[in-house]
Amino acid sequence: MENTKYAEDYSLSEFLVTASARELNDNETIFAGVGIPTLGALLAKLTHAKNAIIATECGGIGPQPKRIMLGIGDNPGVEDCLIATSLWRLFSDQQRGYFDVGMLGGAQVDKYGNLNSTTIFGDGDYYTPATRLPGSGGANDIASSAKRTLIMIPLQKRRFLERVDYVSSPGYLEGYDSREKVGLSRGGPSSIITNKCIFRFDPVSKEAYLDSVHPGVTVEEVCNEVSWDLKVSPDVKITEPPTVEQLTLIRMLDPNQLYTGDGLKNITFEKYIDMLENSLLSF
Amino acid sequence: MSDNLKKKADKRMSLGEAVAELVKDNSVLSFSGMGGAQCVAQTYEVIRQRRKNITLIGDSPCEAGDLLAGAGVLKKMEIAFCAYAVAGLGDNFRRAVEKGIPHKIEVEDYSNYTIGLRFLAGAINIPYIPSKSLLGSDLPKYNKNIKIDKDPYSGEPISLLPAAHPDVAIVHVSRADMRGNGQMFGFSSNAENMARAAKHTILTCEEIVSTDEIRKFGNLTIVPEYCVDAVVELPYACHPWNMPFAYAYDIPFHSKQLAQFKTREGFEQWINEWCFSLKDHEAYLEKVGYKRLNDLARIERKFCKLNY
Repeated sequence: MENTKYAEDYSLSEFLVTASARELNDNETIFAGVGIPTLGALLAKLTHAKNAIIATECGGIGPQPKRIMLGIGDNPGVEDCLIATSLWRLFSDQQRGYFDVGMLGGAQVDKYGNLNSTTIFGDGDYYTPATRLPGSGGANDIASSAKRTLIMIPLQKRRFLERVDYVSSPGYLEGYDSREKVGLSRGGPSSIITNKCIFRFDPVSKEAYLDSVHPGVTVEEVCNEVSWDLKVSPDVKITEPPTVEQLTLIRMLDPNQLYTGDGLKNITFEKYIDMLENSLLSF
Repeated sequence: MSDNLKKKADKRMSLGEAVAELVKDNSVLSFSGMGGAQCVAQTYEVIRQRRKNITLIGDSPCEAGDLLAGAGVLKKMEIAFCAYAVAGLGDNFRRAVEKGIPHKIEVEDYSNYTIGLRFLAGAINIPYIPSKSLLGSDLPKYNKNIKIDKDPYSGEPISLLPAAHPDVAIVHVSRADMRGNGQMFGFSSNAENMARAAKHTILTCEEIVSTDEIRKFGNLTIVPEYCVDAVVELPYACHPWNMPFAYAYDIPFHSKQLAQFKTREGFEQWINEWCFSLKDHEAYLEKVGYKRLNDLARIERKFCKLNY
């Protein structure tokens, strides 16, 4: 792609949308996650993965929405879709092994890609936690049965732990073959995308290592934000920035920066309706 | 209460009547919807009638879970997720679990799929159901109703989930006839199994249509009349959430609502203003404004067109 024109002026969120889109391939069945990864999936579908099938937890399979999808139960999940079905049917297709990739977030992640989105114990425990998080939702199911998962989480020392407080979604558990041993016959995370870098997993030990840093970020900066002794790839790459085309599409999909800024805080009803009216209907 | 309700030819009631008749204190409740198509009007009515000690079973009953937690209606939640997804966190749910405000709620954590399977097991009348989810995670460690066992055929590890049989399922569909045949345009979450698994089902719909209209597209019917006790016409029941092919998500409304839920006082004001001060769902809709609701419906029709 020698003629690729890269954008020069983009926000971190826009960068993360493109980073998540790049992890998705054409013809894949993608279990969309909430937030920035949803926008990443839509972007992939509009660019290099036109035949990808997006699945949303509520029961929409293969939509081709022309507007921003605000969550996994939003109507764009069934807009021009192949199948509108039920939650258990869609998740059963995943358990059967038909879904290539799922997208997950969480509050804590550990060196083997186990995720916590249920509870932060603090000085308490599961029953009286310092912070009660929303819960697994479909994340445990996706982590258990998708052929691979992408994790998106901000890089902070309090989030990148030797071991999470509570395993909501299994990664590689204790590493090596521990995932297979508990009966999970496939899957596991392929990457962790953060605001500063991308981690991938050692094929044998299943431990996360630093694979690429975003432009302007140093390896040292990343190591300082991880609670364990981080392994670093011998040839750490620079993460590819957004192209002009990608950035244009992101801004068409999310002109009020509901995902890519703090637009949600102050959007008026009139501006919101106007955004939908002028969405990608003619694209 | 008898099963005779299920045999009636005309099951139409107001929402207030249906909840008064079927939803009792100390009972187990489930609401359909996931992300979108959530039962908001139905939740407000349960709160308005001041039900107590309710156990809520649901995959991701964000609005029902958070509002009922805040209003002090719940004793226990068997759920996978409670937050407002893109719009924000469930502050009432958090206050109840973290600080016991207004009172402590027992939480049993599942995942979306395994809650879906529990309704499926309930709907097909088997006592439990196996799954490949939950293995290796901490959910079974803290939830004793999830069993990790061996597949008796292969010896491989498998998780076992108990069937769910709510006392009442409140299920919202696109349209229904007065006998209780419910049709859904768009995704249907766990509605079909919830309705069958429950002892009693209140079927609410955006629109009541004739049985002849239902018969034209039998493949759209997700709920059959024989499991339904009451039929309620309830347009815009999901507002501010979206209903596929009917109206778009009103996220600006949700943003305002959730900003107010940040404090306990803010929530109390909200629930007085939007629930207790209003006599029913129609009054809620008038307060939201029909111009706003029409805008949301117009936008939805632009993107999701129906040719029925």
